[in-house]
Amino acid sequence: MIEAKNINFYYGDFHALKNISIAIKPNTVTAFIGPSGCGKSTFLRLFNRMNDLIENTRLNGECLIEGKNIYDKSVDIDALRKRVGMVFQKPNPFPKSIFENVAYGLRVNDMGNKQFIQQRVEESLKGAALWDEVKDNLHTSAYELSGGQQQRLCIARALAVAPSVILMDEPASALDPISTSKIEELVHELKQQYTIVIVTHNMQQAARVSDNTGFFMHGELVEYSDTKKMFLNPDKESTQNYITGRFG
Amino acid sequence: MQKRKIIRRILDNITEKLLTISGAVTGIAILFITFFLFTEGAALFQSPQVEHGYALYVNSSNPVNTLQPEETKAIFDAEITNWNTLGGKNSEIKIFRIDDAFQIYPESELGENYELLPAKLGEIISKEENILAFLPTQYAPQGTAVKALAAKNIQPKEYFLGKEWLPTATPVPLFGVLPLVLGTLLVSIVALIIALPLGLGVAIYLSELASDKQRRLLKPVIELLAGIPSVVYGFFGLVVLVPIVQKTLNLPVGETAFTGSLLLAIMALPTIISVAEDALRNTPRAMREASLALGATQWQTIYRVVIPYAKSGISAAVVLGIGRAIGETMAVMMVTGNAAVMPHSLMESVRTIPATIAAELGEAPAGGAHYQALFLLGCILFVFTMIISISAEIISKKKTYKTH
Amino acid sequence: MNKKLSQQIAFIIFKLFGVLVVAILISILGFIIVNGISVINWEFLTAFPNEGMTTGGIFPAIVGTLYLIIGSLLFAFPLGVMSAIYTHEYAGKGWIVKTIRMMTNNLASIPSIVFGLFGMALFVNKLNFGDSIIAGSLTLGLLALPVIIRTTEEALKAVPNTYREASLALGATKLQTIKKVVIPAAMPNIITGLILSIGRVSGETAPILFTVAAYLLPQLPTGIFDQAMALPYHLYVLATSGTDLGASRPMAYGTALVLIMIVLTMNLLASFMRRKLEKKRSK
Repeated sequence: MIEAKNINFYYGDFHALKNISIAIKPNTVTAFIGPSGCGKSTFLRLFNRMNDLIENTRLNGECLIEGKNIYDKSVDIDALRKRVGMVFQKPNPFPKSIFENVAYGLRVNDMGNKQFIQQRVEESLKGAALWDEVKDNLHTSAYELSGGQQQRLCIARALAVAPSVILMDEPASALDPISTSKIEELVHELKQQYTIVIVTHNMQQAARVSDNTGFFMHGELVEYSDTKKMFLNPDKESTQNYITGRFG
Repeated sequence: MQKRKIIRRILDNITEKLLTISGAVTGIAILFITFFLFTEGAALFQSPQVEHGYALYVNSSNPVNTLQPEETKAIFDAEITNWNTLGGKNSEIKIFRIDDAFQIYPESELGENYELLPAKLGEIISKEENILAFLPTQYAPQGTAVKALAAKNIQPKEYFLGKEWLPTATPVPLFGVLPLVLGTLLVSIVALIIALPLGLGVAIYLSELASDKQRRLLKPVIELLAGIPSVVYGFFGLVVLVPIVQKTLNLPVGETAFTGSLLLAIMALPTIISVAEDALRNTPRAMREASLALGATQWQTIYRVVIPYAKSGISAAVVLGIGRAIGETMAVMMVTGNAAVMPHSLMESVRTIPATIAAELGEAPAGGAHYQALFLLGCILFVFTMIISISAEIISKKKTYKTH
Repeated sequence: MNKKLSQQIAFIIFKLFGVLVVAILISILGFIIVNGISVINWEFLTAFPNEGMTTGGIFPAIVGTLYLIIGSLLFAFPLGVMSAIYTHEYAGKGWIVKTIRMMTNNLASIPSIVFGLFGMALFVNKLNFGDSIIAGSLTLGLLALPVIIRTTEEALKAVPNTYREASLALGATKLQTIKKVVIPAAMPNIITGLILSIGRVSGETAPILFTVAAYLLPQLPTGIFDQAMALPYHLYVLATSGTDLGASRPMAYGTALVLIMIVLTMNLLASFMRRKLEKKRSK
């Protein structure tokens, strides 16, 4: 359960997110759409506090995950990020072997012994639908994989630490159509176990994979509702315009 | 599990503190260097002009109260022999040293530990109106008609504007840095005059004319040139350049300012070439094409468009070249002959600041005036190079072309 | 003048300059190689100087230089790498970091003789190390520091930010991210910096004149508070102040060649590594 209340976010003087409130149910896929620069990625990165890494930013409001404000002073940021996994726009495996990439999160979080890690790597790669393709060369460099495989590896890497939420920031934007559809299938399966929030600029993708959709524009959450309703019968005119391709 | 995590947290904390500390240490290293150089160097101006532990005494009837260091030196070099040159009476100066006392009085009369020496010295000075006595302060003469000349400390003016560098002269060493500063500038600037056209030419050749293959061959060669240790350059200069300069210019010795400049020019070339080449290459393609499209030849494009555009980068190359030349020690020391006199001609021997430090620091007793004077030379060098490197930074950041 | 003609003349001049510079380098290298190669043999590399440094070898100078390389980098390498990590990964962009960076840049422009002065004042006199390997190593280390810091910062800059983000997003702490992702990725470049600074340290003379270098030692140093001979200073001595300059000249050629070989090997190694990395990255 993710809940954001009256979020305002600033880059220096720039008011990037304006008074956004949203509630996301567990085991659903939520898509954020909107024109570039609308704040959707910024909003996504609030949930694992990745925006903390950017200097000169300011946040007002509350962001609750499982009932706890993640911006509370007592929150352990590293533990939070372990609970809230993230997949980035471009596949970004480490310059290590496939195995070590997936095991990385387990190692840095002191999770389990050798045997456990081995088992967990296998499960995660299976979960990311990559196991069959790589099981024979787990110890080759991650850079030997194709772009789509690399992105699934990054998903496996995120799954390995057993998060409850997975954030995806345009995970298919750098991939070819076949790889994209594989990722989309995967998202569909993963929602059995995880709460997924996905940012995309591809509306068809949002329509295909998500249960709920939020439409962002100029730092505001214009509309947030059931995906089917949003695409068939949006409340707001600007949503309608965007979906039908008038701008963006 | 939890315990392990806590221990790791603590270790991590320590590591991060360590990183912070190392960042701070390197940051303050330079402050530390500055501090040490300047405290040691500035102490020179607390040193007396006269050799440490000694003083000058005259008869109290003598109207002269002070002597300039050059005057003292001239007296002891017998260039000034009459008090009237110094504003005193028209009579010959009689120089008296501690050793002379032993000629006059047998040691038995001076007491076991020379405790009677001060009184005897006082006697001598009181008797002789024209005396100038150079005596250890330990045995300061006692008598009614004795006057000590005012013991002044070394003045900054004497140091920075002095024309003579005679650090081991007695009783008054002279620390005038002008010949060294001028020697350094002369050698460096001539080196730059030689190296600049050559370096710029090669930079233009590399960035504009050379084929890829030639560039791939030349660039590493120039990098290698930069990597050779300066003492090897010095050795090469000593064995090859010095005899060549001597023979072709028909000089009595080949170790001259010009030889130093020649060698420094070779050493400054790699810096100038690589910095200037970078600057030239940064000229946008669009500019070259615009010029060529107007019918300019490649050479016209280079000197009308590319070079003006790269002006700030080229200036930075020049400044960095000077910086390298001014600070260079070993190579220059080995080929310039090291005569600490005001430079009159390129074909004479000179001595630069770094060479002076390198040659003399070994013999200067730590903490003495000579030692401090050498540190002050280090300060001068430090300030020179600091100004140069900061101005290079400013120049290379400045955009030559502003959009109007 | 015809513009075509002036172009031709200008280009010919530049080409000549290029040829001249190459000729200078080849003549310097060639001169030392031709004269030095006949001197170098097993005895020259492993024997002590003999008969007023006119025969024998340069073994103690080689050993001394080796000690100085190890000593200075033992101090400068960790310090330099750590301080680069601090300024690049931790420190914000405030004026403190800017000042530190400016100071490090300026540290690189200070003439080496000034380092020698400082080393003598602080390590030899104030801390009372005397002329010793430790005083020389610390002085040379200070000289190598800016080289190491700069190359390490470049290396860190070349590590894509996505690596850092991916690691942090998995719950790794900042330090874990640096240790396990950033440094391994930057390592080859950092090593290149290390090699370059070995080249620099082994060739410097001015900083060791008053901090460690001995004219002639009858035995090898036995501890860090002993003086040591060093190749560059030994060459200086052989070239300018031996007992019989004519007779020690072959020794000087040999020493110069050994010194050049060390320095050039290091530089070639560094540029070779860099090229290999570039190739790997462009794959």
